[in-house]
Amino acid sequence: MANELRMRLGVHNLSSDQVGAFREAYRQMMSINDNRGYNFFAGLHGAPNWFCWHHQQNATSALRMQIFLPWHRAYLYNFELAMRDRVPDITLPWWDWTLGAPRQSGLPAIFTDPRDGTKPNPLLRFRIDLPNSNPPVNHNTTRSPGDPSDLQGQTGPGADGLLDQTDWSDFTDGLEDLHDFVHGWVSGDMGNIGTAAYDPIFWSHHAMIDRLWWIWQARHGNANISTDLLDVVLQPFNLRVRDVLNANDLGYDYAAAQGVIAIGGTGNG
Amino acid sequence: MARRTTKTARKKAARQPQRVQGLGSPRRPRGAAKTFTSRSIPVDFASSRHRLTRADLEISGIFHGESSYEGRIFFNNPKATAATPKTARSGYAGSFHIFGHGGCLGDPGHCEVNEHNRDAFDFRYPHPLTPARKRVNVTKPLQEAAKRGRTVTVTIVPVVTAANRLCDIVNVFRCENMQFVTYD
Repeated sequence: MANELRMRLGVHNLSSDQVGAFREAYRQMMSINDNRGYNFFAGLHGAPNWFCWHHQQNATSALRMQIFLPWHRAYLYNFELAMRDRVPDITLPWWDWTLGAPRQSGLPAIFTDPRDGTKPNPLLRFRIDLPNSNPPVNHNTTRSPGDPSDLQGQTGPGADGLLDQTDWSDFTDGLEDLHDFVHGWVSGDMGNIGTAAYDPIFWSHHAMIDRLWWIWQARHGNANISTDLLDVVLQPFNLRVRDVLNANDLGYDYAAAQGVIAIGGTGNG
Repeated sequence: MARRTTKTARKKAARQPQRVQGLGSPRRPRGAAKTFTSRSIPVDFASSRHRLTRADLEISGIFHGESSYEGRIFFNNPKATAATPKTARSGYAGSFHIFGHGGCLGDPGHCEVNEHNRDAFDFRYPHPLTPARKRVNVTKPLQEAAKRGRTVTVTIVPVVTAANRLCDIVNVFRCENMQFVTYD
């Protein structure tokens, strides 16, 4: 096994082969019902296990437990490894909601195409089946997206402004709020914590959040993140906050280039 | 005989727990959620006579157990609704967003927050529904409001983006406290 960093790519930059591999990884994970499968990972976030960490919560902790970003980094890391157990060279691509037409308009097509050749597109939906929840849940995930111009209009300036923040607390609260907006913009099952991770677009949305944190870290380091947070355990993963601060230590990075525009040579080089 | 069978079946059914209808996907509901308007707050602290580099509206103790929504903040516009444009002219000062839990999917008591029962040896995470806190930078709109008058009212217009049938889509915005926090 090579010890090179694996590179996460933008959804909008995937080749057709890469889209095929991405879909194949999801298809295989969705067919597994044990703790290697899609259903298991989706169920860690909301129903039925509720491990996710959202909103800085202020009842008992002076720290306010701002671990939204570290918790989700650990979550995606584990999910990506499970994907790679199925399709070894795959990485989790990010959905850059800040892009506008003509590169993108609302939800990327790879998530909305009804078919993948002759097969159903596994990125379109997933069947949630929670017979022991109260009330029971058993339906295919749906989406009810808002106006594409709202998505880009809100997230573009929002992301730019956040990357200029120098304070950890301002940055993480602001990025979480932008994240909350995108969940609401997609709506449907993505719109509530309990079911969001069952929607296949959830993971690429969170890869974008993680990428923005990584870009911010490149500019500002870890700034004034509270040292008291560093040893908080990110349940149920075998990681603490300090273990996930450097994405390279987890074996991945984000491709720097957003686009490659072919120009060509002189023809005699 | 047939009658006795029906009676037995009814008795048996009465002993069974009620079959609850399955929960469908969250949707964007129609209808307006209830807005909140504060009392008039003196805003001399934001006038040009005072040095102020930043002012946040901090909202704490926000309930996030049900719908997801955008909370639109308007100054001095208690009649604002979801249809009011998000412009300075209409008093719009910014928004915050809540990613809601989606109602309780557990058994009775699952979503009750019992943080006050904890002692110093309780190292479990806080309950996931421990209330949330949001901060919105409102420096410029607050300074503008202070130029125009001595007081400001804060109106929150919740616009629900995702709710299922477990969610109260009228009483959407619920919080414990709201305050302006300023920085020199």
